[in-house]
Amino acid sequence: MSFGSPYTTLPDFEYHSPKTLEEALGLLREHVDEAKLMGGGIGLIAFMKERLMSPTHVVDLKGVEELRSIRNVPGQGLSIGAAVTLSELLEEGKLGRENAVLREAVARIADPMIRRRATLVGNLCEAIPWVDTPPVLIAMDASVEIIGGEGKRTVPVSSFIRGPVDVDLDPTEIVTAVLIPDAKGRVGAFEKFTSGSEFSLASVAIVASGQGKGRSVKAVYGAVNSTPVRSTDVEDQIRDGITVGSIRKAGQVASEKVECVDDVLASAAYRKHLVKVITTRALGRMVGR
Amino acid sequence: MREISVAVNGRTRRRTIKDNELLLDFLRDRLEVKSVKAACWRGECGLCTVKLDGGLVKSCLVLAVEADGKEVTTVEGISPGGELAPVQRAFVEHGAAQCGFCTPAWVLAAHELLRTNPKPTDADLTEAVAGLVCRCGTYNQIREAVAEVAGTKPRRKAEEGLAQA
Repeated sequence: MSFGSPYTTLPDFEYHSPKTLEEALGLLREHVDEAKLMGGGIGLIAFMKERLMSPTHVVDLKGVEELRSIRNVPGQGLSIGAAVTLSELLEEGKLGRENAVLREAVARIADPMIRRRATLVGNLCEAIPWVDTPPVLIAMDASVEIIGGEGKRTVPVSSFIRGPVDVDLDPTEIVTAVLIPDAKGRVGAFEKFTSGSEFSLASVAIVASGQGKGRSVKAVYGAVNSTPVRSTDVEDQIRDGITVGSIRKAGQVASEKVECVDDVLASAAYRKHLVKVITTRALGRMVGR
Repeated sequence: MREISVAVNGRTRRRTIKDNELLLDFLRDRLEVKSVKAACWRGECGLCTVKLDGGLVKSCLVLAVEADGKEVTTVEGISPGGELAPVQRAFVEHGAAQCGFCTPAWVLAAHELLRTNPKPTDADLTEAVAGLVCRCGTYNQIREAVAEVAGTKPRRKAEEGLAQA
């Protein structure tokens, strides 16, 4: 997917490679509004080539040891540090059965060479409408942990993404991790429609957890609108179970109710068709999970 | 401006660079390693692929300064002393290059795949090279070349398609 720019160089900036979070926060405070954080750099470098961003300071988080871990926080969930790459997430044993839906989505992002550099937090913070991890993380009730001068705060991913390329993050703050809450028996499926390793034209994450009355189902669509779209209409169709009938109905309802936009990548009508197809495919794969 | 030191194909190279320089430009323009191709500049074609610190990356999406103190391997690094690596020989024998522009990246990626996974399945190969493009379309020949080195049987997608038609 090309933005069609003639630029092959980057604007002038000073590169910083802090070793601690404190040092990184200090750099942000020192260069407020002139600094940009870099995780894997995939998005930032592309944006800088386009001159959509021209920071005079780039603060690379790869060397910050505190941000490099994936760990289980007892009673809370799985914490994925901001400098953890997508390849690291895919390593054996990093994402267990209950987080398999995230693994499914991450394994299909771009290609292995990009995944070796790209980070989950970076993917999320870009908040580009067609990136794949926001719908999955929202469907999993994930939140982001943020640190700044005022201390720490935790924000659900669903409200962290405010608009296209707009997140609830102050220029002096850093997202330190994504927290995925524990959920017994969580199952899910991620499906997207795309050509090869390009950006999605439509994606969906469907996640179910719990049993009986406590059963929760979430269906969140990506790449169809400027921000991820949750569809309770689709959720209603599958709350009582996933069967041939409910899958067909959910696909229809998705196509009717999920709001899709027209843009240079696809028409709204085409997206509505895709939404039906991916909903049906995702639910089909959830049978027996 | 700052001085960086990068071990390229086993040889330490020191250069003064600008902070905003891409690893791709550093390799091509400062070190004259022209096997690393500049084509799309946006991480789509994969022709600027190099091995950085043990893994393949697209050098148009990496800052040169990030390679400071690290090891970079380009296709030249897989045939020290000028002797062709098995996968290079197989590329020649199977005609896995047409115009040749993308070949260094493909050879490097195929070599790396075979090093980490000596018997890759077709799916392994497809996944490993998902970020590479060959505009001449020598994909079948590349499959054959990799399969020969691995001692496995390649699946020819085009023939399969015809058989089904």
